[in-house]
Amino acid sequence: MTHLTHNPDLTSSVIYGLGWVYLLLFLMNAYWVRRSYAVDGNFRLSLGGILGKGEQIPVAAFWAVYAGLLLMLAVTHLTGANNPLQFSLKMPEILKEPINRASNPVAFFIGSTAIYVLMIVLRKWWTTPTAGWILLNLSILFLALSVTDYDFRQIVGKPDNVPIVAMLYIVGFFTWLYFKKSVDNDERIAAGRPLFEQENNEKVLTWPDLVYSELICMVLLTAVLIAWGIVLQAPLEEPASAAKTPNPSKAPWYFLGLQEMLVYFDPWMAGVVLPSVILVGLMAVPYIDFNKEGNGYYTFNQRKFAVSTFLFGFLPLWVAMIVLGTFLRGPNWNFFSPYEFWDVHKLELLNNINLSELFWIKGLGRPLPVVPPGATFAQQAPIILLREWLGLVGVAFYLVVLPNIMAATVFKKFYVRMGFLRYMVLANLMLMMMSLPIKMVLRWAVNLKYIVAIPEWFFNI
Amino acid sequence: MEEKKPSTADILAKIRAQKAAAAAAPVETPASVSETPATVAASESAPTAAAPPPASPTPAAVPGPKPSSTKDILAAIRAGGAKPAAAPVVNTPAAASAATVASTTSAAPTSAALGPKLSPQEMLQKMREAKGSAPPAAAPAAAVTKTTTPVAAPPMPAKPLPAGKAAKPAAVRRGMASFATVATVSALFLTLGYLLGNSFLIAVGALAWGALLTPFMAAWAAVAGISGIWTLGVARFMFPNVLVEPPSKFKVGPLSDYPLNTVSNKWKDQFGIWVVHTDQYEGRNMIFALASVCTHLGCTPNWLDGEQKFKCPCHGSGFYMTGINFEGPAPRPLERMGLRIAEDGMLEVNKSVKFQEEMGQWTDTTSYVEVV
Repeated sequence: MTHLTHNPDLTSSVIYGLGWVYLLLFLMNAYWVRRSYAVDGNFRLSLGGILGKGEQIPVAAFWAVYAGLLLMLAVTHLTGANNPLQFSLKMPEILKEPINRASNPVAFFIGSTAIYVLMIVLRKWWTTPTAGWILLNLSILFLALSVTDYDFRQIVGKPDNVPIVAMLYIVGFFTWLYFKKSVDNDERIAAGRPLFEQENNEKVLTWPDLVYSELICMVLLTAVLIAWGIVLQAPLEEPASAAKTPNPSKAPWYFLGLQEMLVYFDPWMAGVVLPSVILVGLMAVPYIDFNKEGNGYYTFNQRKFAVSTFLFGFLPLWVAMIVLGTFLRGPNWNFFSPYEFWDVHKLELLNNINLSELFWIKGLGRPLPVVPPGATFAQQAPIILLREWLGLVGVAFYLVVLPNIMAATVFKKFYVRMGFLRYMVLANLMLMMMSLPIKMVLRWAVNLKYIVAIPEWFFNI
Repeated sequence: MEEKKPSTADILAKIRAQKAAAAAAPVETPASVSETPATVAASESAPTAAAPPPASPTPAAVPGPKPSSTKDILAAIRAGGAKPAAAPVVNTPAAASAATVASTTSAAPTSAALGPKLSPQEMLQKMREAKGSAPPAAAPAAAVTKTTTPVAAPPMPAKPLPAGKAAKPAAVRRGMASFATVATVSALFLTLGYLLGNSFLIAVGALAWGALLTPFMAAWAAVAGISGIWTLGVARFMFPNVLVEPPSKFKVGPLSDYPLNTVSNKWKDQFGIWVVHTDQYEGRNMIFALASVCTHLGCTPNWLDGEQKFKCPCHGSGFYMTGINFEGPAPRPLERMGLRIAEDGMLEVNKSVKFQEEMGQWTDTTSYVEVV
């Protein structure tokens, strides 16, 4: 009677594995209790007057209670693994439901952008060790709880996707580290103290310091890779066939951002033009950047524009898109919530229309100008251009006029400092980057497919 | 960070001012320069007050110009033990005071008497010396005004010409020309002989070759011959003598195999087509063959019978039964293949032609079969 459901949320091995996760988390927090006792000091606890004036209690006490709970969780999981049907410690439906309902590409994009903004605004708070530790604990608890859901486990536990979970932690850690060091240096600059890099000059020698570290890293990495290769089997599939595309068909994980971009653009744009612009744009950065500050040390305040622009392109537009493509895109490239069954027949209404159709049919109530069959190029061109005039004008405005308007308004200082050519390169790179979120929003808001749609010439924007 | 690095404009202005100062100075030999280093230092820092002093006067004064050479860096390190690089320091009163010192001292000795113009070489020499005088200035703060005697670089001795290079006249390689002629002629003979099947011509060509044959030539000829054969062999790989494509024309059975408003997946695996029988396109009852290639990026869509649409698993493009795109990023409808009723009454697909709706080609009567 242990297999009443086809896809059980909990199995013995899952519970057992989670027991070890909680045990590990307990050990980590036991260490944290020690650290907290040494560092954090006391706070006054009065419990609303129950304790009178209150007692001085070390902050570590909170962590001790938390670690104790984790230990209990670990013991429960490790001892209760033999009866998964009776086991009730799993992701509650009350939590799953709102997450499932709130899950759609719009919420995901807005959410990731909001996290990006908060990350910058709250950088002083979240880079403290305690805040970092709290975030790490929350994320591990969320993962551990979510694993008790069958569908979540199927997606996140897939050997293909494990490195992406690891990547998320790595990206999170290094972003945290950057902001921590920057906040420190920014405070030093504001107070007129020397920079961290000057005060603690950690200059070491290449030999032996660097070479030894490299050797150790090499050995460790090799060990990790070997263990990984043994534990997680390569997810091989059936032999490839030109007539059969797996559903969903996913690019290698590092290209999933591009694949998500392809949903909103013509392949020529998202596959050739924009990736080239990204590469060339990154190469152009040293020539565009006129800010000589922040050279050789961590800082955010002195390089606000550069850092936030880069991080916007990297975090919400690249990493978050990889996460979206990996975990949340299912069969037929439909969007699925993390706790949702990947139904091949999930029906999503995505009827898209082009801007020209929006203008002529919906706006003017007239049919599109039609190219008569057998027309020559010279006869075709005026009709097509008339049909797409709004989109063409819009794109021209976006790439030609808008930079000038920005030069006169928001980017005035930049324009003065950079000169015409450099400024234009910068403005166009910025606008190209912003074209992705703009196109995404247009798709979601008005089901817009292409701003300029000339399939006759394979030209769609 | 109030002091910025000298811009190109600053540097140009500096050089111009230096030129002017040099022109104004009395006739100067290198020796006289070393005797009066003040003029040099002056001409260096005089032109613009905005231009930073040539070298950081104190070790703490940081954001000045970057030290130009290893020598400078070493000197700076010896002077103070601080990093010579332009490390950013917020409060550098030392730098500010040093700058003022430099500008006040530099203002004085600019007005020198007019003198003859210097040649470019002399100017270059002067500039080098001015640079050479910089590192000592970086040492103690007191030395800002009184520069220690700069070491005038001794002139480089003239480079001796490599022996024999100038003297030896270019050898005329007389052998080469005649060799080339004979080789061409014999190659001509060989080719002609081969083409005409004339063994006499071949023999003549071979003999001519034989006359030229030295071991050296033979070795090179062998190398050329073998690499030529290899190249040809590699080129041959580009034209494998197999035909992997399935036939472009094939029969897909009689009309009655395809009921109205159905999509047949029968030929998808083998030929990459769907056979569609529908009356939804312009209200006409017709059969046509659609290529199972998404017009977005070329994945193979699936026909979903429940939803009555083709759906691509890669980016979510959707097409109606008629092949018209309606959702996702696909910019144009699926492509039709040629279709006709063959002489034996079977439907015959012709994959060698395609018909694109956006080009107005679906009106072509070879792109569908009308059912009556």
